Amino acid sequence: MILNKNNIFLFSISKSVFFILLITAVLSCSKKPIREETTTVNPPPVNHSYQNGIFIVNEGNFNWGNASITYINTKDSIEQDVFKTHNGRSLGDVAESMQAINGNGFILVNNSNKIEVVSLKDFTSVTSITGFNSPRFMAIVDSTKAYVTNMQKDISIIDLTSLTIKKSVFTNSWTESLIQFNNFMFVSAIGIMSDPSSHRNARILIIDTKSDQIVDSIKTGKEPICMVMDKKDKIWVLCTGGYDNFEPPTLVRIDPSLRVVDKTFSFPNSGATPSRLCINAHKDTLYFLNNGVYQMPVSSTTIPSSPFIPADQHLFYGLDIQPSNGNIFVSDAKDYVQNGTVYQYNQLTGSLLRTFPAGRIPGSFCFPSESKKK
Amino acid sequence: MARNATHTRVGFLLFLIFQSCILFSQNLKDTVHLSQVEVTGSFTLRNQGFKKVLIDSTILVQYLSADLSTILSQYSTVFVKSYGNGSLATPSFRGTSANHTQVEWNGISINSPMLGQTDLAQVPVSQFESLEILYGAATVAKTSGAFGGIINLVSNPDWNNRVDLMLAQTFASFNSYTTNASLALGNRMIQSITKFNYSNALNNFPYNNDQTKAREKLVNGVYVLDGITQEAFFRLSKKDVLTTRIWYSDNSHQIPPITTNISNVHKEEIKDRVLRSMIEWRRSGEKYFFTVRSSLVDQFMRYTLQEQSWNHHSYSWANRVRLVYSGIKNFIIKPGLDFNSDWVISDSYNGVKTRKTIGAFSEFNYDLKKILQFSLVLRQDMIDGKFLPFIPALGIEYKPFRNINLTVSTNLCRNYRFPTLNDLYFEPYGNPDLKPETDYAVEGDMVYNFGKKDDGFFVETTLTSYYSKIINQILWLPTASGSYKPINISEVHARGLEAGLNLAWTIYRFRLSFNNSWNYCRSTNENPLFPGDSTMGKQLIYTPVNTFNSTLAISGFGFYVSSVFSYISERYTSPDNSTYMPGYYLSNIILGKNFHLKKFMLSLQLNLNNLFDLDYQSIVNRPMPGRNYALTLKFNFRK
Repeated sequence: MILNKNNIFLFSISKSVFFILLITAVLSCSKKPIREETTTVNPPPVNHSYQNGIFIVNEGNFNWGNASITYINTKDSIEQDVFKTHNGRSLGDVAESMQAINGNGFILVNNSNKIEVVSLKDFTSVTSITGFNSPRFMAIVDSTKAYVTNMQKDISIIDLTSLTIKKSVFTNSWTESLIQFNNFMFVSAIGIMSDPSSHRNARILIIDTKSDQIVDSIKTGKEPICMVMDKKDKIWVLCTGGYDNFEPPTLVRIDPSLRVVDKTFSFPNSGATPSRLCINAHKDTLYFLNNGVYQMPVSSTTIPSSPFIPADQHLFYGLDIQPSNGNIFVSDAKDYVQNGTVYQYNQLTGSLLRTFPAGRIPGSFCFPSESKKK
Repeated sequence: MARNATHTRVGFLLFLIFQSCILFSQNLKDTVHLSQVEVTGSFTLRNQGFKKVLIDSTILVQYLSADLSTILSQYSTVFVKSYGNGSLATPSFRGTSANHTQVEWNGISINSPMLGQTDLAQVPVSQFESLEILYGAATVAKTSGAFGGIINLVSNPDWNNRVDLMLAQTFASFNSYTTNASLALGNRMIQSITKFNYSNALNNFPYNNDQTKAREKLVNGVYVLDGITQEAFFRLSKKDVLTTRIWYSDNSHQIPPITTNISNVHKEEIKDRVLRSMIEWRRSGEKYFFTVRSSLVDQFMRYTLQEQSWNHHSYSWANRVRLVYSGIKNFIIKPGLDFNSDWVISDSYNGVKTRKTIGAFSEFNYDLKKILQFSLVLRQDMIDGKFLPFIPALGIEYKPFRNINLTVSTNLCRNYRFPTLNDLYFEPYGNPDLKPETDYAVEGDMVYNFGKKDDGFFVETTLTSYYSKIINQILWLPTASGSYKPINISEVHARGLEAGLNLAWTIYRFRLSFNNSWNYCRSTNENPLFPGDSTMGKQLIYTPVNTFNSTLAISGFGFYVSSVFSYISERYTSPDNSTYMPGYYLSNIILGKNFHLKKFMLSLQLNLNNLFDLDYQSIVNRPMPGRNYALTLKFNFRK
């Protein structure tokens, strides 16, 4: 072809564009790894103690690795994602619960299959305990050991001195909530996770904490997800009835010494989806979520018909009662994908006291300095 | 057992077709001149006001061992969301979701009727010859519901071909091996094409694990792709062509755990076994084309997590009749009728779920003195006995100058997408009361080109702007019980610009091409779910605002080199835009040499990917490979 002025001109343009691009490419090739960042700049880590205050455990989205811990210090100032701030890595995902034991925080991270142990002095990592089958909740047996429930297979027994899994109790079930009564650990077992509701065998397993053997079990309604113990040493079990509303939800009272169900409350409306059964420090009032927050004295003969705190436009997801003052902490998980909010209410009037911004799916709370006997 | 039986049956069937083709072709002798292979690359097609882009074999031939996600992310404005090498990769056009993209194989939808989308990583480039990309309203003449676009994998016979044999072997980083073979045989009356691909990758690339702060190798990332296509084209008479195609693929890929997962044994795997088959009769006269086609797609998928597995099996039977009639002066009428049935048997559904779709439509083209072209598409779909609202689309194309190749066009349409079977029936969360999603879209295009595509100098500039409003978009939202449920709640507004500059120049046996595309897209949530919803007006997650691709290719004297550069701007990872993945640039280089010896050709090609060894993630906590290589050795015989 014949070269004309026009072509040469265009060619030189194309050439120069290319070189500009090439230079940009080389220059822009910074060695900074491409990783998730936050739009708001987090303040640099301040070293202080985390022994007091309140932790919000933000579950994070399954397989997104975005669980976090929000810290509310005693002066009500808030720090987001304190785990990442002090350890330079994300917590993982589906942070289910947190417990404070002997100056350490134990954070159970379900899908990441680990318990992150942090020092409450500065929130730096002590160790990561691994080898679980989807850890859920933890209960201390004595100063040497703790039980951890798993979504699959077994209950793990942790040695609290070496911070490793010492052994496990085979359950072939998804186990959830734990309550200790004398030398026995009562553990709610939902059934095999992959089974439909109809096949799941729901019961409360009774484990002898001396021998770590399952010695007995009590049958309950489908999906016994939460347990609390009242002042008369009765265990209250909340059964959702199944993820697919297989049967009506029930609230079951167990006499742990006789190992029998001594009372069953059925939820009146069939569409009820109760969760997060809690009890106050005096152990005389039950709380649970069923869209709104419900309050129920342990002496009550019926399930309350209207909520103590209505949900309104919120998606109430997590609930706990502050042991020292009985305040109600409720989280709003919103749409599960944006950052949630936590509300603090007065337990007598139900009035809103404070609001705290939280992370993704705030689900549970930890009050490290306040004794909480379940 | 069942699997082996299927294998054997399919193998036998292919063998029969293949045998008959060879025997048949030996009886028909004819002299044909070898056609010159058209060198074009990627360019925009004039299409009566609707946007359509073609990526042809000259590009695809350099990506024999790659999958569809690589091509789309490097050569189109379609954004590909990739979970990692060989892992799930889904397309998104113009800020819409993967559900709004239909992937087709020669016009047959290969989207899963359950999910309403296709995993691009499961589609090897070697199984088709060119890619047709239809944007926005251009899809209405093909199907309803593809708000974003259609990606059509095309393969056509070369009637001049006698024998064309290709054998290739690729050796790539991270213990990845790909074998490709194809054989095209035939004459002017009959053509048979057989293509085979096999990939096996350990995919254990090293990456920096932020969790352990150590350099580790990816675990549980193995993938195996296995596929064979048999196509046969019969010229029954001067007017009639019969086409049969079968594409069987048997793929499996493990899903690596995210970096924050600490597990003793992570076992997660997807197995896909798909048989796609079709038969088509086409009659072409002086003033008409007439096609009748029937196709069957049989998809089996098994998802395994630890010790549990879920099986999903679907059958899609699609039938269509099409007519193109140009008997009236300046008018072309293109009516069509579709009848499709889907059956799904899934561990996630309660019983067999079915869907019957009837679609009737017609396209009317009117050409006014080659200056103005109008195109009107009217479509009426009926799904499971219920009429979907009427779907219209209008395109206008204006060519103001006789001697200047400048085209200005616009189109507008209203489109509907019916919920996927998962949206409706997924146990126990599916919602059978869902309404179809609605899209109102408008688009304006400008295309200017100068010169000839495959000779001398060629320049093409394109500029497209679009605005799309999607209402009643289905969103899986949490319910008070902690589970999810899909509801028609979301409203999305997507608007943007697509600009392209393509240059091609042939000078003294050197061929130079320079293709650039830039895409700007703001796709935002416009319906608050509750008071104080902080996602209102925010960019959708994993939707980059800016993407830019640039490819410079030079070839001559049997050598060829291409430099492929892509930029993806930041993508938000939370709908309230509080977290994001920073933008990044990637550079890839392809170097090759073809050695010709009479009818033989030997090619040696080196692909250098992620040239600057960028440590990046595309999806949070899913590592991507650093610099890596692929060496391909290819042998061709053509008569």
